[in-house]
Amino acid sequence: MASVFSASIPQEAPGYSFNHLSSGTREHAFNPYTDNGGSTLGISGADFTIFAGDTRSTSGYNINTRYAPKLFKIGGEGPSNENARIVLSVVGFAADGNALKERLDTVVKMYKYQHGKPMTVAACAQRLSHILYSKRFFPYYVHAILGGLDEDGKGALYSYDPVGSYEREQCRAAGSASSLIMPFLDNQVNFKNQYVPGSGVGHALEQRVPEPLPRKDVEQLVKDAFTSATERQIEVGDGLQMMTITKDGIEEVYSPLKKD
Amino acid sequence: MDTLVARYSAPPSQHQPLDQDEQEELMEALPPLSLKFALPPIAQPSSWLRTMTDDHANPNCPIKIAHGTTTLAFRFQGGIIVATDSRATAGNWIASQTVKKVIEINNCLLGTMAGGAADCQYWLAYLGMQCRLHELRHKRRISVAAASKILANLVYSYKGYGLSMGTMCAGVTPQEGPALYYIDSDGTRLAGNLFCVGSGQTFAYGVLDAEYRYDLSENEALELGRRSILAATHRDAFSGGFINLYHVKEDGWVKHGFNDTNPIFWKTKLEKGEFSNVTADLD
Amino acid sequence: MPGFDFSNHNRNVALHAQGVPLPKATSTGTTIVGCLYDGGVVIAADTRATSGPIVADKNCEKLHYISPQIWCAGAGTAADTEFTTALISSNLELHSLSTGRKPRVVTCMTMLKQHLFRYQGHIGAYLVVAGVDPTGAHLFTVHAHGSTDKLPYVTMGSGSLAAMSVFETQWKPGMTRDEAVKLASDAIQAGIFNDLGSGSNVDVCVITNEKATLMRNYIKPNVREQKERNYRFPRGTTAVLNEKVITKEDLSKYITVHEIRDDDQGQAAEQMDVDS
Repeated sequence: MASVFSASIPQEAPGYSFNHLSSGTREHAFNPYTDNGGSTLGISGADFTIFAGDTRSTSGYNINTRYAPKLFKIGGEGPSNENARIVLSVVGFAADGNALKERLDTVVKMYKYQHGKPMTVAACAQRLSHILYSKRFFPYYVHAILGGLDEDGKGALYSYDPVGSYEREQCRAAGSASSLIMPFLDNQVNFKNQYVPGSGVGHALEQRVPEPLPRKDVEQLVKDAFTSATERQIEVGDGLQMMTITKDGIEEVYSPLKKD
Repeated sequence: MDTLVARYSAPPSQHQPLDQDEQEELMEALPPLSLKFALPPIAQPSSWLRTMTDDHANPNCPIKIAHGTTTLAFRFQGGIIVATDSRATAGNWIASQTVKKVIEINNCLLGTMAGGAADCQYWLAYLGMQCRLHELRHKRRISVAAASKILANLVYSYKGYGLSMGTMCAGVTPQEGPALYYIDSDGTRLAGNLFCVGSGQTFAYGVLDAEYRYDLSENEALELGRRSILAATHRDAFSGGFINLYHVKEDGWVKHGFNDTNPIFWKTKLEKGEFSNVTADLD
Repeated sequence: MPGFDFSNHNRNVALHAQGVPLPKATSTGTTIVGCLYDGGVVIAADTRATSGPIVADKNCEKLHYISPQIWCAGAGTAADTEFTTALISSNLELHSLSTGRKPRVVTCMTMLKQHLFRYQGHIGAYLVVAGVDPTGAHLFTVHAHGSTDKLPYVTMGSGSLAAMSVFETQWKPGMTRDEAVKLASDAIQAGIFNDLGSGSNVDVCVITNEKATLMRNYIKPNVREQKERNYRFPRGTTAVLNEKVITKEDLSKYITVHEIRDDDQGQAAEQMDVDS
């Protein structure tokens, strides 16, 4: 018995039947991304667009900061972005989000200087798509939502995937709690799976028709969406940053969320 | 290795000026549909991109790119029918139910979207630009053959980089009549009478092949397009949402609605007695 | 055959050399602490249970009963902590019945470590064991692989660093009961607010010579505010294709039907046994 054991004591250089990398150079995976968590959402109304995002920044189980805004005014003047009419929200990898914001902001400002008029939301939306696509092979790790008022003064909202596919929508949630918030928005904003009671029997029942919601209702929905997401998503919390774009400009409100 | 080190050992300065290209890009008045793409600073960009974005091979990949799904187009005596669903998925997540997968390149050319949503959107927009430039240069509309070849050559030049698209170009021109081409990101370009593309293609082919004839009437053709997409949305989890229908005629394309699949499904079932596998009976 | 089985050793060395990471001891989101004081011992825990980034239970119980004066706080895999403590509790009861003495904390700790070591860390239970027995008040930690510590103040779980920072700055020997309870709950709150894996309320258990007192939800620093809107749907909002009525009489042939009134439904779920 003893001989069996002594034979199996590991030697310095055992003769494995396969190669192992420990002798040569060790290749490390190129991983330039971190998920900083958090969530954002945008809802467009008849004459306004509302954006919201929590202000917690995380990595792993740690909180980097309890106040890191995810909502940015685009194309304003001076350090406080006065007179801006477009808002960009980015969630995902904060460094990429910041780089994207800076790039779009510069483009929108240059546009104004060169053309003597502000960029429309539609033009800005397409430009953002092209910026994202220019990094098709080294993507920005972000989910962006852009919005403002269109040329008719109606609320406009565009959502993006990380490499720039985009679409105009009524509402969109992005980030770590998007799977919690988006179904809620589908139901409460677009009235998905809601029918008009008593409008018919069986297949004759009529679907509830979505209509633009008043601003007060939308603000309440946004708050409920985030307090609920905070309850069930550990990466969401600390603070809620809300921006409302109307014909009079952008109003920004901050309110606290649970901090656990 | 030395070049890499040299590239990243530049002193980090607060006020480092933008490099020439970046400066020019920002100054340029028009947003350039440029062919300059940032690449990661590593030896194998495409395999890296695959590990980061290919949710099929790696369901835990960090970046989930939106994918498009069932599309079809077929030629018949009255022109071309183009029909799509409207669902975009990112992994198992339904990213959107309202995607416009028929891209209007110009008033008589249509493109369809399957595979990477961004790839299709961007390159079909680029194709639209090239088609317009062709018109301005040659004072006549581009042929569908030429347009599809611009796209095919373009994606072929990016072969191996990781583009993902399966698209169809449909159009009617005086010299060609109704013309339909299939182009994918491998570089394939095929002319044909009938194509279905995407994860729901097999289900759509099943219906389309059974009922297809070249001498279909316009209404029959539209109904067949709609019914084929319906079959795909019924059996393919990655297809669904709305049915987007187009008819390409000699004097341009006509849109035939963007309709919710659910009422269409029940109408088809109850009025025609199809989909008898689905039942609402409780006994 | 007595002794250890080294048959996988060569293979594991080879795999590790190829870059395969060694099995990592994981403790999923929790903060649990324990602290000795003059006259007893106190343990405390947060009440958040997570699965990945999702909160699975906002008010779970992480303080487990072992014997009347031995309690255990558990971190790691929820099922493992629950079943391991229940099993040891059962065995300890039998042991105490056969010896005719009160169970000792060391006995409990030894049974736990031997059980966990046998399963080589595959049972993901990370425990803080505390209790008072005829030999005095004791406090231990037991790791999933079977190692143990005996210390005057301990923390475990993903919030252990946050909690330990509180102990390291504020702990002193010879504290009173109130001081110890305050310190332990402060340590848990440090975990609740600074560690994403921990949250909701503070549970505390104080064990003295006489008895153990479980203070369920001792502090509730994270009460959810009132929702802004009412989400009650009018009857008929959901589409119904077909209806089939099964009466209560039909059902009661197979099962027992117990009526719960609508307005105390939420209450019933929230109510827990609390020993004050």
